[in-house]
Amino acid sequence: MSNERSKSLLTIDPLLAFAVLGLTTIGILFILSSGVNSNGILITNEYLKQLLWALVGVFFLISFSYLNYNLLRDLSFWIYLFFLILLVLTLLFGKVVNGAKAWIGIWGLGGQPSEFSKIATILFLGRFLANKRAEVQNWRVFLQAFLIIAIPMVLILRQPDTGTTLVFIPIFLLMIFMAGGKVRHVLYFAFIGILSVILALIPFVESIIYNDTNGIGSLLLDTRIILVVAFSCTLIISLAIFGYRKYKQRIYYWITYIFSVLLISLITAYLLRDVLKDYQVMRFIVFLDPNVDPKGSGWNLIQSMTAIGSGGLTGKGFLLGTQSHYRFLPMQSTDFIFSILGEEWGFLGAVLVFGFFLLLLFRMLYIMNAIKDSYGVLVIAGFVGMFFTHVLINVGMTIGIMPVTGIPLYFLSYGGSSLLAGSLAIGITMNIYYRRFRF
Amino acid sequence: MSDQGQFSSEGKKLRIVFTGIVISLVFLAYLGQLFVMQVVNTGKFSQDATSFSQRSVSVPAKRGEIFDRSHKAPLVLNSDSFQVNFNPAEISKEMIPLILSRLAVLLKIPFTEVEKRVPTNLYTSYQAIELKKAVDYGTVRKIAENLSDFAGVTWESNPIRNYRDIGSLAHVVGYVGNITQDELQVLYNQGYGLRSVVGKSGIEKRFDLVLRGKEGTRFRTVDVNGRNVGTSVKEEIIPESGKDIVLTINQDIQLLAEKSLGKRMGSVVVLQPSTGEVLAMVSYPYFDPNKFYTDEANQEYLRLQTDVTFPFLNRTIQSTYPPGSTFKVIMTTAILSDKVLDPNRTFVCTGTVEVGDRIFKCNKLTGHGVVNLSRALAQSCNIYYYTAGLEYLGIDRIDDYSKRFGLGQITGIDLPGEIAGLVPTPKWKERSLNYPWLGGDTVNTSIGQGYLQVSPIQMANAVAMVSNSGKVFRPHLVKGIVDSVTGELQESVPEVLYESTVTPEVWTQVQNDMRGVISEGTAAVVITTKSVKIAGKTGTAEDGSKGSSNHSWFVAYGPWDEPDLSKRIVVVVQVEKSNTWEWWAPKAADLIFHGIFSNQTYEQVIQELRPWYMSGL
Repeated sequence: MSNERSKSLLTIDPLLAFAVLGLTTIGILFILSSGVNSNGILITNEYLKQLLWALVGVFFLISFSYLNYNLLRDLSFWIYLFFLILLVLTLLFGKVVNGAKAWIGIWGLGGQPSEFSKIATILFLGRFLANKRAEVQNWRVFLQAFLIIAIPMVLILRQPDTGTTLVFIPIFLLMIFMAGGKVRHVLYFAFIGILSVILALIPFVESIIYNDTNGIGSLLLDTRIILVVAFSCTLIISLAIFGYRKYKQRIYYWITYIFSVLLISLITAYLLRDVLKDYQVMRFIVFLDPNVDPKGSGWNLIQSMTAIGSGGLTGKGFLLGTQSHYRFLPMQSTDFIFSILGEEWGFLGAVLVFGFFLLLLFRMLYIMNAIKDSYGVLVIAGFVGMFFTHVLINVGMTIGIMPVTGIPLYFLSYGGSSLLAGSLAIGITMNIYYRRFRF
Repeated sequence: MSDQGQFSSEGKKLRIVFTGIVISLVFLAYLGQLFVMQVVNTGKFSQDATSFSQRSVSVPAKRGEIFDRSHKAPLVLNSDSFQVNFNPAEISKEMIPLILSRLAVLLKIPFTEVEKRVPTNLYTSYQAIELKKAVDYGTVRKIAENLSDFAGVTWESNPIRNYRDIGSLAHVVGYVGNITQDELQVLYNQGYGLRSVVGKSGIEKRFDLVLRGKEGTRFRTVDVNGRNVGTSVKEEIIPESGKDIVLTINQDIQLLAEKSLGKRMGSVVVLQPSTGEVLAMVSYPYFDPNKFYTDEANQEYLRLQTDVTFPFLNRTIQSTYPPGSTFKVIMTTAILSDKVLDPNRTFVCTGTVEVGDRIFKCNKLTGHGVVNLSRALAQSCNIYYYTAGLEYLGIDRIDDYSKRFGLGQITGIDLPGEIAGLVPTPKWKERSLNYPWLGGDTVNTSIGQGYLQVSPIQMANAVAMVSNSGKVFRPHLVKGIVDSVTGELQESVPEVLYESTVTPEVWTQVQNDMRGVISEGTAAVVITTKSVKIAGKTGTAEDGSKGSSNHSWFVAYGPWDEPDLSKRIVVVVQVEKSNTWEWWAPKAADLIFHGIFSNQTYEQVIQELRPWYMSGL
């Protein structure tokens, strides 16, 4: 043991550190670029602030890589609770930034608790699942686990920050999956989520894109039809449950599975349509067809895709992007940082960033495989889910694969909270890896 | 180490590998999409990016100038004029009202008007707002010299057409104006746009494509707010200046003709018969196109349009009248050429003749006595031509010769809006009036009355035909177009309009008979000039309605026996009957011929000639 420990005197994992450093450096470069206006004059000092945050981030990363993560595990419930309270306080006293009440602080010092609450939730959910590992295939445990993520989700949705709220779901699914949860449970959840969104949006899609108010979508708006279908589903499910109890045949199980997905999706879709704001619907609509509203809701998507596409193979050159410097591209330093990179460094720049993220994610997967502590595995799985989802959604929206949702790209986007949260997650990962032989 | 804290390594590894595969697939798909966007379709996106940030501004081309045949000083040129704009977003909001109030004083527009154009909600606009058009150079210079007091003020050159002392040439030259919806519909395919300036009449309209040149384009790069990026203009398509046009008009003759006609409703055409060049073209009343570029443009336009004397009408080509006795030139030619009647055969004119149940009178009620063809033309004896037309020529021959002289059809002069007039035929009468052709109709036509309608330019052509012994060139006003690169004048080649088969002997006889009109006939008293011997024909035409006033015509050429045809000149004067009856046409022609051939101005002519008919005026 002592022999093995001497191999890594440093708590720092060089590969993870390399990936984080690479991404952060690129981030600072393009935050600088985004601050240059059409006349070539630097108009913000965001890049300096980001540099400062990066230094704080390094400090966080090293600190958390030293701190015994078992302490975090033991305190995880209190950490989780602390951030839930902070989220409630944010809703009460927070500052509105970009339409969401997400920021809290005093004397100009503060941050977005939602960023850190993701990590707190991962730490607590990891502990819960590690303890209930044997029963994780049980429905009740599954629902309890879901409750752990549901509380912060509801609070963040109230801000409202749909993007960050959605990130919890893949985190949850991946952690359940790694904890040994049944795939069909995970999929059950995923099906309901996807089907609810589709059913909720079909009427809007029909009426806005195709100008059709009498299609299938109109049926979904008819409360009587919904009630009839819901009642039929309930009846079928009841019969199937009865049948399953009596005859123990798998067919009854699947009937229950399928029809309950349908029933729950119908109900959530119905509720969702009331909750969804117009701009959220439009974001989805323009994702399907940005030209429905090119100067309004479709603007961001069109300008982002134009910026990236016009970058070509090698890009227009650092500081030479036109879409970005002439301000056609919105929110360049935060949500659309990947677009300015795509414009100025082209396809090769995008490949470089993808390379760093792949290095980061695969190194974390490697670490998950290398360690034996189930708590450690689950926490890292949560982090993998978090990082991956952010890349998936953020990059996806800039290239037209995902609807526009305002979530940052870790280590690249301007913003202290996400940079620190990312550093924190990597620091904890390194810590777990460093302590893989010591319990 | 308790077993509870660990997974079975097999299941865990499988799930990690599965996660890794999912991650890889997503990254691969994203790379695929990026490859399609950035490598395969990058051209389309680059175009989009360019179109987002490029704005094109059209640069007006300099319109060609118009000269008279001397090609010295232009009749029409472009004057400096500026449009003053204001760009609110370039200065701080607090400063805007102050600068606007200064501008209101300088541009002489009420401050409330300025406030209306630049309301407070536009204070952040990067779009330039137009404050005033047609600002002169001096005012713009004041702004330029005190630019610190006029921050955010810009101006652009917007030259206007200056028609100088256009006078009676207004009809020939025409004027320009902003294109209308209807015009754009027609002209869209010829490169005109919503903001084009287009010729509205005359040469300006007919030769608009030559004069207008080609608009240039200036591209500028803008950011998302429409603000210019950088200072330099990136690309530019240089505008092509329009070509200058040199007219056949001789300004001295034009002025002479204009003053000789005076303030009488009517028109004058002076033609060079050997080429078809129009040396002067006057139509009274005329208009002043310069007023269309002032602040009172609309009122002036309305006034002209509702004026009962139709000042917009170019009476030389857009009005037709019965030719009256001038038509006897054509009758004489027909009689001689078709040999239906021995020219020496005499008739006795008693002053009246009966055709059917109608009695036709001669212009001399006591009768001309014994007349042959020459004397009939000289004395303008109606009875002779009634008889010749009705009993010897017949309406078909009369119509045939009328058409051979170019009546009833447009001459194709290079001006827009020419009308054809009418040569009546029995068929035409039956079709349009549903009434049969009568002998009386032939009688009327024989002396240029009735349904016959001709324009002054057609009569000028008819006289040119006599002068040229059968050949007529297309009348034209454009002598040539100046090549904008070399500065050389590309002269237009005279074009033969029609050639007659009538024999030279007949033409000589017609010329002699027309000379007789001047030397011993009806015009002998009024043609007082001694500087040129002319041949011509007078005409008074009733216009259907009974009354004391008649149209007065005089058509002539001179010198009548000049062997060098290029030295001959045709003058046609037409004075409408609405003028107090003074038989002015031959008198105006007298002044014009004298002025041309003794190379004098109107004032000099009056002084030297001291014509008897001017003494009472």
